[in-house]
Amino acid sequence: MATPGGPRPRNFPPNYNPNALANNMQNLQINQQQSNNLGGNAPRAPPNSTPFGQQPPPFTGSRPGPPPPGVFPRGPMPPNAPTQTTLPPNMMPARPTGPPTVSQPPPFGSRPPPPGAFGGPAAPSPSGPGPRPGPFSSYPMTSGPNMSGSGLVNNGPPSFAPGMAQSGPPRFPPAMGSVTRPLVGPPQSPTYLSSGPSSQPPQMRPSFGSPPAGVSSAMGQPAPPFSAPPQNMPPPPGSSPFSAPAPGVLQPSGSPYGMQTWPPQPQQVGPPPPIPGPMQQQPMFGMPPGGPPLPNQSMSLNQTGQSKIDPNQIPRLTPSSAVILHETRQGNQANPPPPATSDYIVKDTGNCSPRYMRCTINQIPCTVDLLSTSAMQLALLVQPLALPHPSEEPIHVVDFGESGPVRCSRCKGYINPFVKFIDQGRQFICNLCGFTDATPRDYHCNLGPDGRRRDADERPELCRGTVEFVATKEYMVRDPMPAVFFFLIDVSMNAIQTGATAAACSAINQVIANLPEGPRTMVGIATFDCTIHFYNLKRASQQPLMLIVPDVQDVYTPLESDVIVQLAECRQHLEILLESIPTMFQSNRTADSAFGAAVKAAFLAMKSTGGKLLVFQSVLPSIGIGSLSAREAEGRSNISAGEKEAHKLLQPVDKTLKTMAIEFAEYQVCVDLFITTQTYVDIASLSVVPRTTGGQVYYYYPFSAVSDTAKLYNDLRWNVTRPQGFEAVMRVRCSQIDCDKTIMVSLKHDDKLQEGTECSFQCALLYTTVYGQRRIRVSTLSLPCTNMLSNLFRSADLDTQFACMLKQAASEIPSAPLAQVRDQVTNVCINILYSYRKFCATVSSSGQLILPEALKLLPQYALALLKSTGLRSDGRIDDRSFWINYVLPLPTPLVIPLVYPRMIAIHDLDEKELDDSIIPTPIPLSTEHITDEGIYLLENGEDCLIYVGNSVQPNILQQLFGISSVEEISNQFMLQQYDNSLSKKLNAIVNEIRRHRCSYLRLRLCKKGDPSGMTFLSYLVEDKTPSGLSYIEYLIHIHRQIQSKMA
Amino acid sequence: MERDSEGDKWNRFWEVKGAYRLNFRTLTLLYNITAPATTQRQFTLHHRRRTTVTMAEFLDLEIQDSVRMPWNVLPGTKADAANCFIPVSAVYTPLKPLPATTPLLPYSPLRCRNCRSVINPFSIVDFSSVNKIWICSFCLQRNHFPPHYQSISDQNLPAELFPQYTTIEYETSANEKPQAGSSNVFLFVVDTCVIEEELGYLKSAMLQVLGMVPENCLIGLITFGTYVHIHELGFGQIPKVHVFKGTKEVTKDQLLEQMGFFANRTRPTTGVIAGVRDGLSQESIARFLLPASDCEFVLNSILEELQRDPWPVPPDQRAARCTGTALSLAAHLLGVCVPGNGARIMAFLGGPSTEGPGSIVSKNLSEPIRSHKDLDKDSAPTYHKAVKFYETLSKQLVHQGHVLDIFACALDQVGVAELKVAVEKTGGLVVLAESFGHSVFKESLRRVFHSGDHDLGLSSNGIFEISCSKDIKIQGIIGPCASLDKKGPLCSETVIGQGNTTAWKLCGLDKTTSLCLIFDVIKKESPDVLAQSANNQFFFQFLTYYQHGSGQMRLRATTLSRRWVAGTGIKDDLISGFDQEAAAVVMARQVSFKMETEAEFDPIRWLDKSLIHICTRFGEYQKDSPSSFTLSPRLSIFPQFMFNLRRSQFIQVFNNSPDETAYFRMILNRENVANSVVMIQPSLISYSFHSGPEPALLDVASIAADKILLLDSYFTIVVFHGSTVAQWRKAGYHELPEHQAFANLLQAPRDDADSIIRERFPVPRLVICDQHGSQARFLLAKLNPSATYNSDAPAVPGGDIIFTDDVSFEVFLDHLQRLAVQ
Repeated sequence: MATPGGPRPRNFPPNYNPNALANNMQNLQINQQQSNNLGGNAPRAPPNSTPFGQQPPPFTGSRPGPPPPGVFPRGPMPPNAPTQTTLPPNMMPARPTGPPTVSQPPPFGSRPPPPGAFGGPAAPSPSGPGPRPGPFSSYPMTSGPNMSGSGLVNNGPPSFAPGMAQSGPPRFPPAMGSVTRPLVGPPQSPTYLSSGPSSQPPQMRPSFGSPPAGVSSAMGQPAPPFSAPPQNMPPPPGSSPFSAPAPGVLQPSGSPYGMQTWPPQPQQVGPPPPIPGPMQQQPMFGMPPGGPPLPNQSMSLNQTGQSKIDPNQIPRLTPSSAVILHETRQGNQANPPPPATSDYIVKDTGNCSPRYMRCTINQIPCTVDLLSTSAMQLALLVQPLALPHPSEEPIHVVDFGESGPVRCSRCKGYINPFVKFIDQGRQFICNLCGFTDATPRDYHCNLGPDGRRRDADERPELCRGTVEFVATKEYMVRDPMPAVFFFLIDVSMNAIQTGATAAACSAINQVIANLPEGPRTMVGIATFDCTIHFYNLKRASQQPLMLIVPDVQDVYTPLESDVIVQLAECRQHLEILLESIPTMFQSNRTADSAFGAAVKAAFLAMKSTGGKLLVFQSVLPSIGIGSLSAREAEGRSNISAGEKEAHKLLQPVDKTLKTMAIEFAEYQVCVDLFITTQTYVDIASLSVVPRTTGGQVYYYYPFSAVSDTAKLYNDLRWNVTRPQGFEAVMRVRCSQIDCDKTIMVSLKHDDKLQEGTECSFQCALLYTTVYGQRRIRVSTLSLPCTNMLSNLFRSADLDTQFACMLKQAASEIPSAPLAQVRDQVTNVCINILYSYRKFCATVSSSGQLILPEALKLLPQYALALLKSTGLRSDGRIDDRSFWINYVLPLPTPLVIPLVYPRMIAIHDLDEKELDDSIIPTPIPLSTEHITDEGIYLLENGEDCLIYVGNSVQPNILQQLFGISSVEEISNQFMLQQYDNSLSKKLNAIVNEIRRHRCSYLRLRLCKKGDPSGMTFLSYLVEDKTPSGLSYIEYLIHIHRQIQSKMA
Repeated sequence: MERDSEGDKWNRFWEVKGAYRLNFRTLTLLYNITAPATTQRQFTLHHRRRTTVTMAEFLDLEIQDSVRMPWNVLPGTKADAANCFIPVSAVYTPLKPLPATTPLLPYSPLRCRNCRSVINPFSIVDFSSVNKIWICSFCLQRNHFPPHYQSISDQNLPAELFPQYTTIEYETSANEKPQAGSSNVFLFVVDTCVIEEELGYLKSAMLQVLGMVPENCLIGLITFGTYVHIHELGFGQIPKVHVFKGTKEVTKDQLLEQMGFFANRTRPTTGVIAGVRDGLSQESIARFLLPASDCEFVLNSILEELQRDPWPVPPDQRAARCTGTALSLAAHLLGVCVPGNGARIMAFLGGPSTEGPGSIVSKNLSEPIRSHKDLDKDSAPTYHKAVKFYETLSKQLVHQGHVLDIFACALDQVGVAELKVAVEKTGGLVVLAESFGHSVFKESLRRVFHSGDHDLGLSSNGIFEISCSKDIKIQGIIGPCASLDKKGPLCSETVIGQGNTTAWKLCGLDKTTSLCLIFDVIKKESPDVLAQSANNQFFFQFLTYYQHGSGQMRLRATTLSRRWVAGTGIKDDLISGFDQEAAAVVMARQVSFKMETEAEFDPIRWLDKSLIHICTRFGEYQKDSPSSFTLSPRLSIFPQFMFNLRRSQFIQVFNNSPDETAYFRMILNRENVANSVVMIQPSLISYSFHSGPEPALLDVASIAADKILLLDSYFTIVVFHGSTVAQWRKAGYHELPEHQAFANLLQAPRDDADSIIRERFPVPRLVICDQHGSQARFLLAKLNPSATYNSDAPAVPGGDIIFTDDVSFEVFLDHLQRLAVQ
């Protein structure tokens, strides 16, 4: 325990002792708990807690559901706490305090009125809504209100201020009600857009957030990131940025700022040095991503200009570490959600939390034509069991007793806040289909003067976007299934020799300790090489009995019962068994692996109950049902012929596994696959099983017993203990769904929608909790409809749209030539921007690249996507297959970091003043920001690379890694904590990231000039690479394409 | 020509044929008393004194040569033989213990270089020439003695030439030392689809037996139910079981592959793969088959933890039991591990096979298990398939030299009828009982492993060969053996049983295994036949190689000579050599065989016809005068044997299930003459205060209120208390000191029953019952129904009547006499 922090540096002898590893992991674990950082630990605590959310203690009381035994995953974590509980206060400091961040204020500050002015603006703001001119004015507004509170420029935070939530600023005068912004305010900038483009300012829908208000404030900001600032800055510092933004708005303000066309003044950027800095806005975006006012970003990209673009002013993501407080509806209007990647706390005020369901566009186009004109996609990303923020109110559980939840008799929609009661409450109109139903007698309640039921606020189902109904018998085909965990471990020669088996056994052994020990938790275990070995865990004697199924063509389960046993009854056997498996097979010389057969056999054992099947596989399945061949090698050998068909390697080789998987799903068996390998294993084929059954693929390549054991354990632990449900039924039938699963639903118009009405979406998930209760989680989202294109652009949700783009691309990779998929990505990007340019920003000069504020990062993400593992042509087949698999169910908040990882410098941690957040400000992914003296950490939610430059000071190396020179770095890297502040900070950062990503991260150390260094460099997506454009080049490319389309 | 003396002796012996002609009915009754005698029981049952002179001759012959022949003087021509109706045949017990005086020869026998028969006392030896020569009695080939025989002379004979050693045993060359793997192998195959109680009985019986297995024997264990579990006994860390699906047949190759016999080495690309010699590692074999001393602990713990088959059985279904697959896997396992070495699969079956190949009934309880009626009507859907499966299995086992033993213990049938072929061809043991808790099973199982006085003398891997004179051919063998398909000039065109060969495999054989050899006399009638009286001998030689229980290979040679007669006037000669018991047994085996193999065969008609022909041919009568009919004493009991055979379980199958019938016939086919006769015609002994134990008529008239009867029908032993005796006993008189005599009376039949039980395998069921009790049926069913419910004569006081419409023996004889004289 010398090093509390993490795994100890040890010299692992060739035949390392698995237990030693295990111990290390435990240490790690412990440490993390202490520090609260461990991604794995804290957040996941679920086992005991309520099904899903881990509510902060305070809420517990209110919890209808099973009372969380008080083990609150997050609750206990003081460190985190700051962000959460104390939000309001923190918020404030967050921005302002950070000296660097101060830059932010500039935008505001720059505004016409001096700081003091803010107060003033606020007032106007209300009126502002309508008129655009106000971009500025409005600007102030938003901030104004907030400002008033704190006096800080920044906006958002204030809104949170205690009590502020609604009453405060947002509650503007009348129309303003919609002003959701306070929190989001800035981001809302899009509104601005809407108003801008068309002269329809008046029309601006308040729906969106106070359009007007929002407009002003939000808009401006985004622009800043860009060049806009330079020019503008000079004049009225703040103003300039904005001008550019609202193309629509432009007319009035636009001109003044029109300057944005930087081309000419590229240099100028430089001049106002201070500004660019601020411009970075990192803070700004961070806050309210959208940034304040500017709806657009425009960049002039003349050929000539291109070289002169200041990279620093290119639109970039600037994540904020501050927490946003988000109310799902304000003033009876849907409140556009904060960016998926930001840290936010949701208050469910009618619409469901964006965590559960978010739409690519936060206003629904009334017609297909409108939608197709926009070139955007209308889709919902549904993650029904997403983890809530610890500070959020838990989901209410509603029990309607015998009769079950009230539902529409026609469309079977569930009762929700948008159902309209009429006729003194005797009838209600379904918001989903419009049918009028009689209110069940015992559910009847009179209506108040406002037309709402008098009990609406007491009934969660009438005031919350997400509730859980207790399912009645009619929702159960059978008794709720027990929580069954079946572990299947590869013990073939390679698995044994690489230590994968030992790692798996030790991981399982530790994880079992975390499983709830109720009578409903059942466990089974089997190993396999060329035969399958089950274990009878229920025996009188001290030892389990091994049951070998030798027939791998026609498999079966050797026992009806006793292969899967209540955990409480077999814990001891299980522990003994797991400890002895690695030695038992020590001398195994069987190279063959009967993966398909083993999975099938395990399935048969679980068939009667369903459950989770966790498979640890180390080699290419070579025997029995569903055996595979080394297609990759075959493909390579006749590459000339195979080039066209290259993507075929990304498709499953045949239907065998698919057919099996469909059957698994039917019987509620979910397969998770942990691939610990040194070679090609044809993930494209293997992954079909987890994908079809709602499971997950984990990929450790090349597996290293030293550095991957801890991750394996933590992945497994999270997999098993995270909040999850079984036997789920949604629109899509899927056997099992957990909090990391996201489902994308594309929407199509059946009919025209009425302007001014709202459109509702409801997702009902019927599932069984790990505690055996049958529940229906109903999330309802009601969004306004619009006829205005500009509204669409303003309310576009970049993260969600990009997630859709990514998922679509991923799903196409196996079936289409790579070039085509890549082109498609760029085309989507171009089409959207073109549509915007053509219909909403007509005024701008053709030399400018105009980006809608809400989508300003689209090109950057698109480029990053093109350079991602999945769309790179030089990747290993397995890596790409894994990527596709990983991406498809990926929750929106993790999509962005996956393609555009977060990079931070860690060599200078000691020198930096970190405003409250543990994680320092990220660095753009460009070599320009890398120095030879530096050490950088780059993470994408799955992998974590630590890059060590050539000339790092030895004392830093010593502090961080306990080595004196770069040459000593080993590939088998384990992060350890040494007794110095640098090392502690690094560990804290890594643990914080882990917690945040709910992922343990695969740590790798990269050296400059080494293959590992190349890997690292390949993540720097803004750089020019042999096969890809640099960010600037890409922008120019897009710009030209748009130009040519315009012409 | 000294050798001839042997044959002459017999000829002379038969000259002393019966001068007295009793009324054959009287004699029959007398015989009944004495017939069931076996040599051993003569010693133990002191009351059997009146063995007729006639039988003693045959018994002496049997003691010397382990052979009984219906015709000890043979009909010399094909026509004569056809006229005899009972074939020229022999019931031979290859491993019957030899008289203690017979030496075991520690060398290999001399064999004729032409026909490979073994030198014997009938061989003519020429001591005179420089190079001593012996002439083969079968092919007349002149053979030189090898050098080490040079010292022999008529004063200095090797044991195999001693006249009294017509049967002698060689222990083949000492260099063939028993190898490591050549000790006996027992592979237990245990049914777990039984109720808890039965499993408990079975476990305790097996645990008890494990302690009795000789240390050097290898043991393996397979359990089965819905699936087959092959247990690894030699795996150190945790108990390990290979599980095979019950519904699927697995080939030997698949087994080799799937059970990892090549896990750590490459598989030879060609050649038979089996056993250590073929490249399997000793370790891979030792996973499954371990010396008893090494695996006793593991085996004990496995057995103790053995659970019932865990798969649920719906209430309207039979348990899924895959007997066929289990046995097939057992055969594969032995075939892979110890091919060619003696090994026994001991199957403990607790119910019918319902799953996979060889199943005998569907799982659905609404479908009853096949009865004889179903088999007759050919409406047993699975029967032929199952039989075919077990035939294939038997071929495999025979090829490997392994034995299948069946212990079938269930109230229901388990499929013995289908399994019969595999058991019989491999020479396996079979025990049928109602429960694993029943003493028939427990005691029988113990007997298998028992060593000492009454051990079974289990041997294995036998090969049986016959040589005989050129005018005789071999039709086949009815008995527990399998043809080795060694065809030759000695094979008759008529085939019965295992025929068309001169060599047979006896995978398993023991001290009582008896083969019924059936011959064909093919000599054509010719004028000069009779003239050559000097040459009127037929020679037979039976050679049995086998692996003795000690693991050594032995060869037993029995050489026989019989005189033949031909032409007219040979009736008396033939009668003088007629062995009625042997004849009855041969008839019983023949008729059983025909019932099983010939469609539409009517056994009653066939038996009656044969009997009538024999009576017509060998009786003394005036045509058409039934009352004038008499039979020679050598033949006189034969009609009664036939009467009882007609009523026996071998013919009257409808009282029994197909399993029982198969069981009875398998035992009949492997037992010696004496035991078989008891099966055909039970013995009855009466105990009373008036006299010592004495044989009683097998007739309902023997029942008396103050007597105790002991009936031995081989499979069942009944102690029957007359009603008065039963009352006394119930009153507890035997516990009073003044009634010691009564206690002795009660005890005497029990003691006798015990002594029978001790030496018999399978252990018979003991029924102790009282007159008029329900169990009394076991006795009544076997008695001659001379007094029935509709007979005119009133029952004797204290006697009994039988409720049957069967004809009594008297009626049967009347008809026989009438028909014989027509």
